[in-house]
Amino acid sequence: MKVEIYDALMRRQASRRDLLRGTASAAALLGLSGAMGGIAGTAFAADDLRAQILQIPGVGKGSPTDADWQKVGELCLGPTKANVKQGEFAGVELTFMGLNNQNLHNFLFRGFLKPWEAYTGAKINWIDLAQADYNARLQQSIATGTVDFDILEMGAPFEGDTAGRGLLDEMPDWAAKQVEADDLVSYLKPPVGTWDGKTYRVTIDGDCHTFAYRKDYFGEGSISGMAEPPKTWQDVNAASKALIGKTDPLTGQPAYGYLDPLKGWGGFGFYFIENRATAYAKYPGDPAWLFDPENMKPLVNNPAWVQAIQDVLDLIAAKAYPADQINADPGTTAFSQFLAGTGAMLMWWGDVGSSARTSDTSVVGDVVGFGINRGSNRVYNRKSGQWEDKYNEAPNMAYLGWGIYVTKRVSSDEKKRKAAWSAAAHLGGKDLSLWTSAYPSGFQPYRQSHFNYDEWEKAGYDRAYIKDYLGSNADSYNHPNAAIEPRIPGIFQYYSVAEDELAKGFAGQYKSAQETADAIAAAWEKITDQIGRDSQLKLYRTSLGL
Amino acid sequence: MSTVEGDLLHTVEAGSISASRRFWGRSALWLSAIWFMASFVLQAVHELGWTDWGFANWRPVLYAYFIWAAVLCVTRVVIYGEAGKKALFVLPAALFVVSMVVFPLLFALWIGFSDWNLASSAGRRFNGLDNVRRMIADPFYANALLNMILYCLAIAVEYAIAFGLALLLNQEIIARKFWRVTFLVPLMLSPVAVSWMVGKSMLETRFGPIARLARWLGWENPSFFGDPLTARLSIMIMDAWTFIPFMMIMLLAGLQALSREVLEAAEVDGATKWQRFWQVIFPLMLPVSVTAVMIRIIFKLKLADIIITVTSGGPGGATDSVTSFIYREYRDRSNVGYGTLLALVYLVIIVVGMTGLMKISDRIVKRMTGRL
Repeated sequence: MKVEIYDALMRRQASRRDLLRGTASAAALLGLSGAMGGIAGTAFAADDLRAQILQIPGVGKGSPTDADWQKVGELCLGPTKANVKQGEFAGVELTFMGLNNQNLHNFLFRGFLKPWEAYTGAKINWIDLAQADYNARLQQSIATGTVDFDILEMGAPFEGDTAGRGLLDEMPDWAAKQVEADDLVSYLKPPVGTWDGKTYRVTIDGDCHTFAYRKDYFGEGSISGMAEPPKTWQDVNAASKALIGKTDPLTGQPAYGYLDPLKGWGGFGFYFIENRATAYAKYPGDPAWLFDPENMKPLVNNPAWVQAIQDVLDLIAAKAYPADQINADPGTTAFSQFLAGTGAMLMWWGDVGSSARTSDTSVVGDVVGFGINRGSNRVYNRKSGQWEDKYNEAPNMAYLGWGIYVTKRVSSDEKKRKAAWSAAAHLGGKDLSLWTSAYPSGFQPYRQSHFNYDEWEKAGYDRAYIKDYLGSNADSYNHPNAAIEPRIPGIFQYYSVAEDELAKGFAGQYKSAQETADAIAAAWEKITDQIGRDSQLKLYRTSLGL
Repeated sequence: MSTVEGDLLHTVEAGSISASRRFWGRSALWLSAIWFMASFVLQAVHELGWTDWGFANWRPVLYAYFIWAAVLCVTRVVIYGEAGKKALFVLPAALFVVSMVVFPLLFALWIGFSDWNLASSAGRRFNGLDNVRRMIADPFYANALLNMILYCLAIAVEYAIAFGLALLLNQEIIARKFWRVTFLVPLMLSPVAVSWMVGKSMLETRFGPIARLARWLGWENPSFFGDPLTARLSIMIMDAWTFIPFMMIMLLAGLQALSREVLEAAEVDGATKWQRFWQVIFPLMLPVSVTAVMIRIIFKLKLADIIITVTSGGPGGATDSVTSFIYREYRDRSNVGYGTLLALVYLVIIVVGMTGLMKISDRIVKRMTGRL
């Protein structure tokens, strides 16, 4: 595409959005007699851009490379150009701290922001962190007052630790307009991304755990003996046990059922026991499932959670996992195992669906199916203290999505501040986000506009697959009994301690599931006391809407 | 260097310093010292929660220390003249040691008796002996200590292998230089690289060649890091693989420095190969051996990188060394206070243990070499 045509398209696209945005746009539309034709034309241009970036590199044409990321970043520069003059940030240097696991996140940001740097004149220095190191590094920076980064990739659970301590810069209105925040799915709208009524984040990800399974393991005559994929966690365990000693139909290697990550991952590993626990513990109509909202007592050792832990212990005892599963973290289960053809079932963040079809390392793209978190045929009612025999499901909204935040370090320098927010807004742009949803990025669909099946089909996905994959995300987001994570300070300390104790329990260091759960609960009580029970309780209740 | 008359830093003989000059010098010194001590005490009681008075952090105390140190330097000359000037040469080094060693140690001690959670806006809170009680009752810390003993005992095997290799490479074998370099390669790799090469690749359960070999030999589901025993052994092997060359090269240097006359005399006296080794070479090599083993123990006591990379202390803390355990207390659990106490206790264990070990080894060396 010629540069002048590209720039013209970008200008028209920006004007269309400006026109459609505020109330003034209606008057503008009515006042311009020839506007309709123009809108149709620019709408086409926007669609053309979206279709164009989805062809980079094209589904089934190998994993995207740095050159692809740069190309996408270049093509999505339009909204930046509408707000920033060329070379406006010359001389500005920004430090960006983010994740670099599985060659995703920061690696992509580098590519996306390279054309942004070339256009604006700003320079970005990178702090890359492995997933297992991320929480500790951030927590230590906060606690020791050594915040040495201007832009931060962070999840909403940390907003209590950062925004709550006045470490973040409030998002300017122009940035909110540029990223078209209204397009976010409902559960990511405020209060997520806000603190005390102020907005601090550009959302770049959704985050909910969805169920992925191998279709070739289920159906008539399949090796699992099950006609349908499991609907409940009880079924998941039954299928996993039934597969012991069988051979994988795709790879010829030993067949395995569900892939629990039994090793911690800097706190992120706790989400995976949550997946099982929410089905048992998240009672419809009761938002609390981690702590008692009356006194902040942990619920993690109630019968529902103990059952979740017991489920895993049962599979360990039955030798239903791959041999070295005790050392498998969530990154291993998703990328080294499931996508590489080991295991029939997996819970992971939604992006495993796009990776299955567009990553070079995936061999399961043709046989993978999706659904929401599995349910349970009984649910524990913490108020009555009784199990109730009824079907219950509760998708786990694990982590509330990654976002880009700007720290207070730039607040006193308007040029630097604008540069930081411009970079954040570029990464959170509507069109760019469509690409990250469709390709391996570490991010999953999180905008309403991501659920347009036609666009995905044009990228090379087949409709049945995309309906299945996107449906699992949409159904999770919109589920009435979704388990929402609380935004309270120190949440990842709770998780880190928990996964540490779980690892001990799974390795047989504790006598039972109950003892493991009690160890977690005791550690959580200590953390709550250390941080301050009253303040934690208040924030927890607020996060539950109580 | 010319000096100006009346300048306070004008260096004169101690006897000719005026009383007023001494008075102002001592006043400045005492004032700065009192200021420093007062700010220290104030901050200490503030941190203990005994008073609301105090600073937000220890920075003002640090500034007071720097000012006292600067005044101390200047007033040495002001009060003592030429004699003070001599002391001035030592003072910067002394102050540096206090700043870089004594202060951090005191600060660590302070933190070690606090309940510091990084997410807590209250920061550090003194909690008396809670951390000590917790350490004593912590079975996973005890397990880490036990592991350290096991890991250190493995040095005996490492030493035997290293000695064997050193003896071999001390012979006139074919391509001796090539073998020497080859055996040194593991030492040139970082332990993290070794962890990936050996732990994550060679011993990988599904596709690792050693796992395949184990399967071929009849081990149905080999999991080198899934079982506490094999996981510990695997860690020991990786660590040994990395550091045996270090011991080997030290022992080889020792062997080459041995007196040829003594060895030849033994040969002439009709000593067998074994007798020559056990009664001559081994005792003569003891000083080098002790040094090599001691350095190796010091390395071993710091063992963490391989464990963190390969098992993260797992399964369930089974392979934790004390260092990796402390690291995880800090990093994953943000238990800064508890972690610091463990680090300090470990320091004491190492200092006491190493001192005792050195005394014992010294006695053994004297006894064995005394026979020669």
